[in-house]
Amino acid sequence: MGVAPAQFPPPVAPAEEFVTGITDSEDERIEVGVAIVGAGPAGLACAIRIMQLLEGEPELSERLGEVPVAVIEKGKVAGAHLLSGATMRPSGMRALFPDLDPSEWPVYQRVEKDAVYLLTPRLALPLKPPPPSFRNHGNYVTSIARLGRFLGERAEEAGVYLLTETAAAKLLVEDRIVRGVRSGDKGRGRDGEELANFEPGSDVVAKATVLAEGTQGHLTGAAIEYFGLEGLQPQRWELGVKEVWEVPKPLDRVIHTMGWPLRKRARYNEFGGSFIYPMGEDKVSIGFVAGLDYTDATFSVHDTLQLFKEHPFVRRILDGGTRVAWGAKTIPSGGFWALPRKLAVPGMVICGDAAGMCNVAELKGIHYAMHAGIYAAEAIVAALKQDSVNFDAYDARVRDSLICEDLYRWRNVRQAFSRGFFFGGAIASLATITRGHLPPGRWKQHEDALEEMEIGKAGSRYPKPDGKYTFDKLSSVFASGNATRDDAPNHIRIQRHVPREVAQTWVSMCPAQVYEIPEEQAASGAPEVDVHVTPSNCVQCGAITAKGGRLTPPEGGDGPLYQEV
Amino acid sequence: MAGILVYALHDDEGNFNKNSLGAISEAAKLAGELGTEAAALVVGDVSDEGAAGLGKYGARRVFRARTVPEGLAQPIVDAMAKVISEQGFSYALFGGGLLGFEIGAGLTARLNAGVTMEVTEVRVEDGKLVAVRPVLQDSAVVDVGYVGEPGIIIGRLNAFDASERGDGAAEVVDVDVELSEWSTKARMVKRGEQRGADVNIEDAEILVGGGRGLGEAANFKLAEELAEALGGAVAATRAVVDAGWYPYSAQIGQTGKTVAPKLYLAVGISGAIQHKVGMQNSENILAINKDPNAPIFEFSDLGVVGDLHKIVPKLTEAIKAKKGG
Repeated sequence: MGVAPAQFPPPVAPAEEFVTGITDSEDERIEVGVAIVGAGPAGLACAIRIMQLLEGEPELSERLGEVPVAVIEKGKVAGAHLLSGATMRPSGMRALFPDLDPSEWPVYQRVEKDAVYLLTPRLALPLKPPPPSFRNHGNYVTSIARLGRFLGERAEEAGVYLLTETAAAKLLVEDRIVRGVRSGDKGRGRDGEELANFEPGSDVVAKATVLAEGTQGHLTGAAIEYFGLEGLQPQRWELGVKEVWEVPKPLDRVIHTMGWPLRKRARYNEFGGSFIYPMGEDKVSIGFVAGLDYTDATFSVHDTLQLFKEHPFVRRILDGGTRVAWGAKTIPSGGFWALPRKLAVPGMVICGDAAGMCNVAELKGIHYAMHAGIYAAEAIVAALKQDSVNFDAYDARVRDSLICEDLYRWRNVRQAFSRGFFFGGAIASLATITRGHLPPGRWKQHEDALEEMEIGKAGSRYPKPDGKYTFDKLSSVFASGNATRDDAPNHIRIQRHVPREVAQTWVSMCPAQVYEIPEEQAASGAPEVDVHVTPSNCVQCGAITAKGGRLTPPEGGDGPLYQEV
Repeated sequence: MAGILVYALHDDEGNFNKNSLGAISEAAKLAGELGTEAAALVVGDVSDEGAAGLGKYGARRVFRARTVPEGLAQPIVDAMAKVISEQGFSYALFGGGLLGFEIGAGLTARLNAGVTMEVTEVRVEDGKLVAVRPVLQDSAVVDVGYVGEPGIIIGRLNAFDASERGDGAAEVVDVDVELSEWSTKARMVKRGEQRGADVNIEDAEILVGGGRGLGEAANFKLAEELAEALGGAVAATRAVVDAGWYPYSAQIGQTGKTVAPKLYLAVGISGAIQHKVGMQNSENILAINKDPNAPIFEFSDLGVVGDLHKIVPKLTEAIKAKKGG
């Protein structure tokens, strides 16, 4: 029998620790009109749209003060913590910039050709025609890290105040009305002590607060608990690890694969696949995504990607190339049933991946994030004009939009894959043919951390990294641009003494080698072991939160510096 | 007269900073080619012998501003600006270090001068100085000339080597400097090395680096004995510093120090890229590791696969024997 990580919950109480009242005096606090947490497609689309609307609202503009819109971003720049495949549906860009020609978008190319393959250990069998959910014709290949920089520049040009290297550590709530956020302290040592360069955080007080934190949002988690916004089913996640390669010959199509190297047996519960996208003439983006409801404690998405690259079909694409970037991120895959019960509470809204606006069947989410940001902007401006903090119009707008229409259509598909690849495939086809009418009802899904873990053999399949074609985790962390100082306080909450199955799950799962079991304990076979944590390696993918721990934001500016992933 | 003025930083014991001495040597060399003079400026409590001693490195005159406090940028900007204006120096040169950057930047603004930072090399062209600085994450270098005077040149850390090229003592000239109002707003409370000054691994010609392969903190004794026999110092990886086996001041790598000794002897270090970037410029790299697949062997000049607990003591003995005999 295995052990579920959820039996060893992290020492954390989000609604108590991360929700607080305003503590700074009136002189000390930073007053802004709208505070947006997260400089991703949702947050920046919201910021830009608000500025567009304020052009026609001089009176409201005046009332919002010197800083009408502030975006708080923990990465070094907008885009530093963004990672995605990505093929983007263009509707979000069109809605936000109706006059901008696609030639000026931060994209590589329009998708002209799709291909989906089923992999066996030696062969790649094309699926013809490709399953409808994988059809990308007319979509654009982009890098979300680049898209973030582009939107960040546009936002600043429009007058948005972009506060980078700043973590949003606490949600400010008074009388159950959200009043802004509190930024994180800087310059603390390993044990939390104040170093010479210590700077305390500040209260950023706002008339409206937008949580656009992306996957595993820190304040989103606290807000969902505090306001009781849990969805009808628990949220769950996939973990994606990707690399960017410079290659000698251009790739002529967008590729998705299923099958190998994942194992088909239902008890392993391995669901996922790969993507390989062309990025212009000389680069490709290659990644592997797997559901975090797997059950083999030795399973590692990073190493699965390395193994995947050894397939002859993939080797041919990467042959003669070099790896130029690496990164990892979780993807919310709970879909329709996992959406928060309400996306707006007094003074606050939740947008994009933070709310789980991601369509895992079609591998899309960027345009939902942008649309949601735009809807939030419109609802907030309309409410603030009436001096109201009721943003319910945003919630209604999302539920009546293409976001919920799409998520509803695929509402029961991901669950089906937990019963095996072929069953999942059959249900996906059923949903496609009936345009989402079937299968009916609400299929159950449960938390990733409730899966019982056993120490299996996945780990023995992975290649030994050669440093040229296949890579270990540490050199990959280096390629992410992460150079976090070593004496930063630990931002990862886990239990430090746990059964071997749980510890091994964290060690193998983490793509950045944050968790280690001391050598002598690893060798001794003891049933319970200590977990050593190296927080400076962390690339903030969020997998630990899905699998029995809790990620909190480290000091602003820490973590990866993604350029083009 | 068109000379080069160098700011020379000293500690509370009166020892001059290695980078400052390097800058004086460099200024003397360049002044020779230009047919002009290299001079230095010191502030605070510097003895006559101490100031005159800078002549060894090639300073002909040393301006001493006794009333100006050492270590704070603004008062030193006042002193530099006064001496440059009154004596007509054409260039100001700073060795690497944060204080030099700050003074150089302030001086640039004060004198409306041209500045080049992170300079790695200076040469003479047509009777003028040209500063060379790396750009774009060191993937290219650019030459920077000066159209007006003075030209401010701020070196990168360790860019200039100190050499005793001067003959005899420098003339010491005391100067009175009236501090600007804003220069008196800050006060030096305490000076000190932030991160343990006990191990100066950046200067060592021979380094023995210890990694997790040592097994436990007590085994750093092996690395220390070997370093002592070789006349070198001990360095460490992030993992062992993290584990508390060795102080942070000895940490090499991405988040530690960058070193380039003549010999780097890696003991029980796997050679992760985060460590490699801190020591890859070492002239000779020798690695001892039990894992033949350890990445360190890919960039070692000599690799030994085996148990360091057996090899290192024998190596130490052999070196002692050779040196003794």
